[in-house]
Amino acid sequence: MKVRVTNIQRFSLQDGPGIRTTVFLKGCSICCPWCANPENIKYEIQGEFGYDIELDELEKEILKDEKFYKSGGGVTFSGGEPLLQFDKLEPLLKRLKQQNINICIETALFVPTSLLEIALKYVDEFIVDIKILDNSEAKKVLNGDIELYYKNIKKLFEQKHNITFRIPVTKEYTLQEHNKKRILDLLEKYKPQQVEIFKLHRLAESKYKTLKKNLIEFKEVTYDDMENFLKEIKNVKINAKICKI
Amino acid sequence: MNKIIELINKIINKSEKLSNFTVIVYKYNRKYRNMTKTILFALKGIFKFYMPSTKLSKGMQIRKIFQKLKIKRNSDRFIYYLDPLKILNIKNFEIENTTIDYEIGLEKSLEEMQKENENMKDGEYKENQKQLLLGIEELIEKEKKIAPNEQVANNLENIKNKKADGFQEALQRILFYNQIVWQTGHHLNGLGRLDKILDKYYKKDIKENKITKEEARSLINEFMKLLHENFWFKSNALLGDTGQVIILGGKEPNGEYFCNDLTYMFIEETEKLQLPDPKVLLRVAKNMPRELMETSVKCIKTGIGCPLFSNDEVVIPQLINFGYDEKDAYSYVTAACWEPLITGKSFDQNNMKTIVFLKPFTEMLNKENLEEIKNQEQLMEKYKTYLEKYIDEFFAELDARKFETDPVMSLFIPHCNQVEIDVTEGGAIYNNYGATSVSLANTVNSIININKFVFQDKKYTLSELNELRKNNFENNENIQLKDQGIRYGKDDDKVLEITNMITKWVDEMLENKTNRIGGKLKFGLSAPSYIDESKDFEASLDGRKKGDAFIVHISSDITSNPYTELIQFASKIDYSGNRFNGNVIDFMVTPSFMENNFEKFTDFLILSIDVGFFQMQMNVVSSETLIKAKEHPEEFPNLIVRVWGFSAYFNDLPEEYKNVLIERALKNEGKSY
Repeated sequence: MKVRVTNIQRFSLQDGPGIRTTVFLKGCSICCPWCANPENIKYEIQGEFGYDIELDELEKEILKDEKFYKSGGGVTFSGGEPLLQFDKLEPLLKRLKQQNINICIETALFVPTSLLEIALKYVDEFIVDIKILDNSEAKKVLNGDIELYYKNIKKLFEQKHNITFRIPVTKEYTLQEHNKKRILDLLEKYKPQQVEIFKLHRLAESKYKTLKKNLIEFKEVTYDDMENFLKEIKNVKINAKICKI
Repeated sequence: MNKIIELINKIINKSEKLSNFTVIVYKYNRKYRNMTKTILFALKGIFKFYMPSTKLSKGMQIRKIFQKLKIKRNSDRFIYYLDPLKILNIKNFEIENTTIDYEIGLEKSLEEMQKENENMKDGEYKENQKQLLLGIEELIEKEKKIAPNEQVANNLENIKNKKADGFQEALQRILFYNQIVWQTGHHLNGLGRLDKILDKYYKKDIKENKITKEEARSLINEFMKLLHENFWFKSNALLGDTGQVIILGGKEPNGEYFCNDLTYMFIEETEKLQLPDPKVLLRVAKNMPRELMETSVKCIKTGIGCPLFSNDEVVIPQLINFGYDEKDAYSYVTAACWEPLITGKSFDQNNMKTIVFLKPFTEMLNKENLEEIKNQEQLMEKYKTYLEKYIDEFFAELDARKFETDPVMSLFIPHCNQVEIDVTEGGAIYNNYGATSVSLANTVNSIININKFVFQDKKYTLSELNELRKNNFENNENIQLKDQGIRYGKDDDKVLEITNMITKWVDEMLENKTNRIGGKLKFGLSAPSYIDESKDFEASLDGRKKGDAFIVHISSDITSNPYTELIQFASKIDYSGNRFNGNVIDFMVTPSFMENNFEKFTDFLILSIDVGFFQMQMNVVSSETLIKAKEHPEEFPNLIVRVWGFSAYFNDLPEEYKNVLIERALKNEGKSY
């Protein structure tokens, strides 16, 4: 069995607890205009981006840094939307679990619930994005079904507690009052373990160029904007921090 | 103009005195980079310059130097002064890159040393020692006269007839003997395990309320500042290369980890002082306190380039395995850079010369009929024959070296005094030679490339590929010799197999070689000469162009190579046999990365000890800062970087060193040059 990846990044410190190896799976169910990994949006191999790897091979790569996972780390599946390939990945997830490797995913949850159910069996740490929660805006900007998102959130919180929400902060979307209110409502309802908010960056610019795409310019989010938003989140009694990447 | 310089050179070369004086003037100019100042220094200096005749015995020459010294007071708590204008005329190789056993100076009074001397049989050894000891006595008297207060005068007086007592006195005595080592022409002098050596003096003073912790800290601060003074004079090849390394921490024979208040203080004061030297090296082990690693990371985070880490879990077993006594192995220090050394028992000259692995490889490419080499096995066999010849000549050259008789070094090796044989003639217990090495990475990468392009893909014949190399790859930049996924620094089985095969050969080639005083030749995989040796060196098949620097120490030239990958690679290198003479991983880290990931970075370092690296150092600086500092040096007067085994001011470095650092920083950050 093979899965399609773009990169396997060892010594990842930003994608979950401890020192981790992050596997970037190719293909996504939505399309964020600020996407930091544009090479992972399409499932098709695009020139230098993407290759298929046997699960055995992938396992070997993941286990290379096993000694460093003692820091509380492990493997993180990111993307793209990693859940999209979780059916194919399941045998490996099972083996990793047997070897006590901590498994984390970074997901936007815009996927059929059946895929999330696979993850629920094996994944230890969930990092879930909150992007746009307004129904029509989510459809228009992300091409995502927000009802499906809410349904998956509900399902997830029924079974798991150690969930981190991650929020990309934009003036155009996140910080719009109607959206912000929905975010804060969601946080208050589910009380996640932690929230990380972060500014957009332009590190992927060269990848956009290679893909012959344009990275849209967003309005500058200031230090004060971030601090104010952080305060509002903390006001609903959620543990939150600004994530520097 | 050139003719005038030539003429001056001719005159200078005729007079030993003048040529020795010129070296000092050159050093002075290197520090101040100001012609007027240098000329003034030279005019004044020439009259103060003194170099005793080599017709006198060595001991007498040293005594004369001490008599002529002009000592100045430069501290209220210590006397420590070097006079750059009083030097010995050194014609042969001088012992360097070593650390005397300061415990001997602390525990033994001069009187005891003199008594020992009286009981020796008459002869050159006794006479040299006698004059040296008389010189030391006279020096003490001289220094006492300018002592700033009674306490300092007493601390000096006590050297004559008492053991050291108390923390400040112990520091004074270390400074005193350190001054003697420098003043007698030795280069790259380490300080030893100061936290361990000073432990009992510190504890006693604290217990008896003679000193507070903060007073001790302040003394350490001053002690380090004094050692740093005159660093222009102490520096060897490059400014900052003084070899003044303080060894801290360490695993004990019973498995426990040693560290104390002083361990922390030395690191914290290094962080506070922000001077390129003296530098600290921390011996690490699995059971060291996390707090000590955190203190170290805080210091490293400032970009000062130290502490360097030496992994006792890996180093000590190799020392024992080589033949050092177990107790000695546990008490190792290092020579100026990284090379493990047993102080007080060794003549070991750990840093004599650099093995350039690419030299015999390139010779093979230039001389052999390459069409006859059909596969990797044959290639390796051929290389082995060239390497063997190279190593034979290398060893013979070292073994032919003549050393200056050295009463100072002999004084600090009890075994020399027992057998009454000078350290350079076999008086010590350990008499080994040590080499560093460079360009193994370039050689391994060349072999991997040949294997791929010639033997596997058959894209070129070896001769064709070699022709491209000889033409410096002109107009063939697209053959992508640098783009292979598999390279030195990746924990790939193939890379490790080739790496370990080559070093094992050298190990075997040296197995039956013994130097003139019964020692062996050790080597390691890190070396200062990645720039000097590469300057005029032909292009190599790893894609390196003519004159470009070799790959630095144990590092990788792969863009954004993960640190864990490099650590795993280095941990799988075989350091057994005589391959333990300093093996340092070297990598770049951006300050923001370290700042944002402090806890995880500390975890990473602690876990790396268990994974099994040998030694490790890092440069914490961004490419952006380095590029700016290169363009506007005036804005970055205090920017310090790690160079090879030492730290230096970035502005003091030659341009090619700056370029190598910038290139490596960019690669680490995933940017192109």
